[in-house]
Amino acid sequence: MKNNQVPQENTSPGKFPKKFYFSRRKYCTFCKDKIKLIDYKNYKVLENFILETGKILPARVTGTCNFHQKQLSKAIKRSRHMALLKFIEPKRG
Amino acid sequence: MNRKYEIGFVINPEANEEEIKKIIDSIVEIIKKANGTIENIDEWGRRRLAYTVKKHNEGFYVFINVEAIGSTFVEIERRLKLHEKVMRFVVLRLDDKLKKANRLTRKWKRIERMSKRNVESEPDDEIINDDDDGKED
Repeated sequence: MKNNQVPQENTSPGKFPKKFYFSRRKYCTFCKDKIKLIDYKNYKVLENFILETGKILPARVTGTCNFHQKQLSKAIKRSRHMALLKFIEPKRG
Repeated sequence: MNRKYEIGFVINPEANEEEIKKIIDSIVEIIKKANGTIENIDEWGRRRLAYTVKKHNEGFYVFINVEAIGSTFVEIERRLKLHEKVMRFVVLRLDDKLKKANRLTRKWKRIERMSKRNVESEPDDEIINDDDDGKED
């Protein structure tokens, strides 16, 4: 029960959560470059947001904002349709 | 109301240069009939596909940016769908998405303001570090 009490003390006093300072903060790379529309033709950029198997990486891993993540998932799906990116492949070995 | 659209399609690698020209010209004609304007035509040429489509490993990529009335694109889509040498196509409307994306400029301004505040309040980090070391013990 003592272990349960400790984290409550951590969270209560500060207005901003203290974890903010400890984890290196992720940022949206599209907001940083000030890109408004994500283009499905620009497949080299989209490759950074998929795994080797072709899966789309979640926003909590990459740090993209909600607005851009929605666009990104659509852009990846369009470029898959146009055979610029591959569809999901099962892992080998 | 003229609207901005983007058309992209992949042509079968077995097609001649004449056939590729015919497909592009047919689209250009439809747009000119509807008093639309073509902003630019982007030909990537032959490219390797990410996966095989109809037993082909290559494709001829063409992208066209157009400004025209929305009803013309119904006909363009129908043409592309029926054409045998067109393997894949996408028709996208861009202007409404640009309007939505203009909200972002407000957000970016807010973030810039916040980042300036955070730089000023940097010295707080040291104090917080000391607190947490004490709690771990």
